[in-house]
Amino acid sequence: MHERLSFFVKRDSPIHRLNPMTKAVMALSLVLIAFLSPWYWTPLALFLFVILPLSLVARVAREYWNFILKVILPTLIILFIMQAFFLPGESRSIFEVFGLEITELSARLAFRNVMRILVMISSFTILLLTTHPSELMSDLSRRGLPGQFAYVVISSLQIIPQMQAKAQTIISAQRSRGLDTQSSFLRRVGGILPLVGPLVFGSLVEVEERAIAIEARGFTSTRPKTFLREIQDTSFDRALRWALIACVILTLILRIWLS
Amino acid sequence: MAIVNLQNVTYKYPLTDVPVLQNINLQVEEGEFVAVIGPNGAGKSTLCYTLAGFAPHFFKGELTGIVEVAGVESHNSILSEWVLNVGLAFQNPFNQISGAKYTVFEELAFGLENIGIPRDEMIARVEGAMKLTGISDLADRSPYSLSGGQQQRVALASILVMQPRVLVLDEPTSQMDPIGTREVFGVIHSMAESGMTVILVEHKMEWIAQFADRVIALKDGEILMNGDPSEVLTSPLLPSNGFGTSRYTSVARRAQELGLWNEGKLPITLDEAVRGFNSSLTKEEIPDARAK
Ligand SMILES: Nc1ncnc2c1ncn2[C@@H]1O[C@H](COP(=O)(O)OP(=O)(O)O)[C@@H](O)[C@H]1O
Ligand SMILES: [Mg+2]
Repeated sequence: MHERLSFFVKRDSPIHRLNPMTKAVMALSLVLIAFLSPWYWTPLALFLFVILPLSLVARVAREYWNFILKVILPTLIILFIMQAFFLPGESRSIFEVFGLEITELSARLAFRNVMRILVMISSFTILLLTTHPSELMSDLSRRGLPGQFAYVVISSLQIIPQMQAKAQTIISAQRSRGLDTQSSFLRRVGGILPLVGPLVFGSLVEVEERAIAIEARGFTSTRPKTFLREIQDTSFDRALRWALIACVILTLILRIWLS
Repeated sequence: MAIVNLQNVTYKYPLTDVPVLQNINLQVEEGEFVAVIGPNGAGKSTLCYTLAGFAPHFFKGELTGIVEVAGVESHNSILSEWVLNVGLAFQNPFNQISGAKYTVFEELAFGLENIGIPRDEMIARVEGAMKLTGISDLADRSPYSLSGGQQQRVALASILVMQPRVLVLDEPTSQMDPIGTREVFGVIHSMAESGMTVILVEHKMEWIAQFADRVIALKDGEILMNGDPSEVLTSPLLPSNGFGTSRYTSVARRAQELGLWNEGKLPITLDEAVRGFNSSLTKEEIPDARAK
């Protein structure tokens, strides 16, 4: 069924071996630098000289490009066109249609915004491709993130496909009893109502049962937790994290300085 | 002293007037295998929740009387400590998966992480529980990708690793097909063999007859009968109170009415039925019965 519930690709690479916190800090720093940097070309430079090499070193370039080209690129292109048309920019017009125009300035701004978003999505994609969600959450719990929070994150990630499968089952069941889910919108809305009961009520009972099941396994125990996953946190990890934080602070200073 | 001790236990869910359990007195010895039977709504699940501490600690409501396990009283304990003594597993295997783990191995370790078992011991316990429940080959699979019987064995193993003194099982096979049922009963049997105290709610009388040391019949929140399987399961009170009976008992009871069964006691297992029919039917009474 749903063997693959996360983005994670199991490989052996220096990036995979980094501490999850280091990778999270790296992703966040890249985003902050891309958005805060006073220089126009920073996002593109980050993409070319940091993100792309990272994807290669992490040995997830294929999965990364697959996701970017299929899912992200089309969105970014639409975003670029919208921004280029609608961002204000009093300068030389380079394209005009139906009284809307793209100017040199609006194109420049749109390109930078799109690059920023590309850096943001890419850094988190690489984080998720190289970090097992359990590992990330174990590490964060160990650093003091409340267990309940980690639980909610991971279980929601896993539950969504389960809920979809269940909705599908209910729909098929109701349809086989004559429910109309394919004709006009209003009739369909009326027709969907019978699904809400089983889906929601079923879920509430399930939620109670699951609460009992995890409670039976000491979920709210006040004893200090231990962890199955041993997660490395080397001095290199720590140094890298501080270096990244320093870069972010430096970017922030430069931005304030130069503006 | 009994490991489980219920005295005059009466329990009401919140916002209800009628107690679901009334005046329950029940002692279970360490290592005993007790089966609980009863029609729908008899209060079997509520009894399980009471034993496992969820009534009243989770459901709230009003509990009077004494609930004592391993010398500790439920009133004086908190749920997260109580569950270390009493493990609970129930019907729907899917809802017992924590949802927080990606592999069966991690799923089994979930409870041990919560209660702070050191990592080496954790791994040893998980491996032991997987072996006992026959799921070692599933260690790296996602719990969601398993069959019902496999998932239920994972649920049982997840409780077993916690090493509770008492295991409470609420109809663990009611959603299983015959193959899943056999798998799950295999596990329950080996747990009982290993000396664990087991309290099992179950409808499948053939299985109860095979394993239980004692049977409790629950009806409308009260204990109707409490005794030897061969007595409780063959009692004429069962059919008249809406309980199921084993097919061996039913057939023999019908045969008794027709004069085809001459043994004193009704059978509860296949072996007993075969033996009984053998000695009854060799007495050449068949034509007689046909006449009736
Ligand atoms: N959470 C609850 N709140 C109120 N009443 C409940 C609750 N759970 C069960 N009951 C009631 O308690 C009675 C016994 O239920 P239960 O213990 O589930 O019986 P069984 O497991 O034998 O079928 C039923 O009448 C049921 O409606
Ligand atoms: Mg029940």
